[in-house]
Amino acid sequence: MKNKRSLFHKIIVYTAILSIAAPIMVLLLWSFASRWAWPKLLPEGFSLRAFDELFGPHSPVMPVLLSSMGISLGVAVLSAAIGTITARAIALYDFWGKELVSFGSILPIIVPGTAFAMGIHVVFIRLGLADTVLGVMLVHIIYALPYTVNIMLDVTRLVGDTHEVQSRVLGVSPSRTFIHVSLPQLMPGIMSSISMAYIISFSQYFLTLMIGGGSVKTFAVMMVPFIQSGDRTISSAYSLLFLASTAAVFIMIEALIKRFAFWRDKTE
Amino acid sequence: MELSLQNLSVAISGNEILKSISLTVREGEFVSLLGASGCGKSTLLKAIAGIIPQSGGSVIIGGKSADMLPTHRRGTVIVFQDFRLFPHMSAAENIGFPLKMRGAARSEYAKTALELLEKVQLKGFENRMPHEMSGGQIQRVALARALAASPNVLLLDEPFSSLDVNLRQDMRSLVLRLQREFEITTVLVTHDRHEALTMSDRIALMADGSILQYDTPEKIFQSPASRQVAEYLGDASYLEGFVKDGIFKSGIVEFPSDKPNGLYQAMLRPSMVRIAPEGDKSFRIAELSYQGESYSALLEHLETGAKIRTLIQSPCPYRLGDKVALSIDTDKAILFPANK
Repeated sequence: MKNKRSLFHKIIVYTAILSIAAPIMVLLLWSFASRWAWPKLLPEGFSLRAFDELFGPHSPVMPVLLSSMGISLGVAVLSAAIGTITARAIALYDFWGKELVSFGSILPIIVPGTAFAMGIHVVFIRLGLADTVLGVMLVHIIYALPYTVNIMLDVTRLVGDTHEVQSRVLGVSPSRTFIHVSLPQLMPGIMSSISMAYIISFSQYFLTLMIGGGSVKTFAVMMVPFIQSGDRTISSAYSLLFLASTAAVFIMIEALIKRFAFWRDKTE
Repeated sequence: MELSLQNLSVAISGNEILKSISLTVREGEFVSLLGASGCGKSTLLKAIAGIIPQSGGSVIIGGKSADMLPTHRRGTVIVFQDFRLFPHMSAAENIGFPLKMRGAARSEYAKTALELLEKVQLKGFENRMPHEMSGGQIQRVALARALAASPNVLLLDEPFSSLDVNLRQDMRSLVLRLQREFEITTVLVTHDRHEALTMSDRIALMADGSILQYDTPEKIFQSPASRQVAEYLGDASYLEGFVKDGIFKSGIVEFPSDKPNGLYQAMLRPSMVRIAPEGDKSFRIAELSYQGESYSALLEHLETGAKIRTLIQSPCPYRLGDKVALSIDTDKAILFPANK
């Protein structure tokens, strides 16, 4: 019985590893393949064409990657902050129109992306935000908010305000209470929100193209045309870089979570 | 500091929870708010601390109105039923927190935390996290943290109800000792009459958003203002009767009374009634239940059907249905006007 169970367990674990590792291996092979036609099991030749394209001296990819990561991190931190505040309002306070705000916070994912982008585009043109980095960041934030609000709503409801009340009766002002009592407890949720908003922003192609109008170049905007044109070597290299940069950001966030992990000794 | 409530009212979404409460707690006094759940006693505590806004009246702390002060400026520290230690801080950090937030130096609040830990008998627990402590230990830390905030008024919201029975007695003694030592004006919310009677300087008995009686434990127990108060403080039996020309008469007892003529009910505590070895066996044992050191017995008068409760020491020589004689100590009987 126990053997069977551990076998089942192993199958699941290895299937999971394989389904992540195998595509990455294929991407890795493709990135350095010069020609790889069916039915050959391995590429017929190797080249550093993609490597040159990405990291060559005249390649725009690295600067774009860095600025794109900057945009997405900015979007992630801002939407996590707005999400935290919105969730707090919805979870802990009663105010007129609360249901409307709560419903409005999930609207951007209910409305089809195209309809949403067209509408925003018109507004942004009037405001002079179209074709600007600020405009792109704003639209990413709007699109990421439903996710961050909902993550933070769960966490805020879980944490509640009992510790805040306790802190205030101990004579601590509301703002210091928030910083010293609530924020540390909300931190895991805030970090999840940041990760979520980062990946939403970083992988956004259509919205970025529409609002940025081609003048705001992000990594996704550069990558997608290669995928569409069918240049598998370059697309694979882009994809790998996409994965690596995101992994790096997530590892960084993970390290930050550990810094705030007061439950580190909790073993039960 | 002295705490004084003047016609304090609280309404939550149109429902009047507290109805014009007036109460003064003298400096250093220990007062219990006693009442059944839902009587508004916890709401009163929160209104004193400014967590729930009042709809009328005033809260006066140390002679100054606190009505316009936000919670964190009132100095009214609550120890809640669920203790609410901050989960991301160790025991010492929890205790030092109020001082740290007031800008005390690290060495200062760390020293105070250690001193207070010793006061609540938790020496050596300074680095424990809340999830590594038992309920009793958590409560001690919560208490020490409240003391660290040097409260004007200490408010205890049913702090013992979540503890084991054995631990409760220890915690009550500890709380009383610290309260006396620090001379803190203290208000305890409880539904446990035994707790209120044993701990308090004065008891305010609450029902339905009002204070029925506010007096010392002895007075509130011996001369309750109404049947409702009397019933909350202990088991009681009633004999219907009337007073005429200074004598109370019922089918069972007769005794002098200074009440004006009229219909009355005489309230008898179980301790006022004993089974007499001799005499007119006019009562039948209708119920008998074992309670450890004693049996609780319900005695029915054969003639009138009146029922009287008493305690019989274990071991009990009687059985259900036995006929017995009673001696009733009528000196302490309390007469309430019959409300018919």
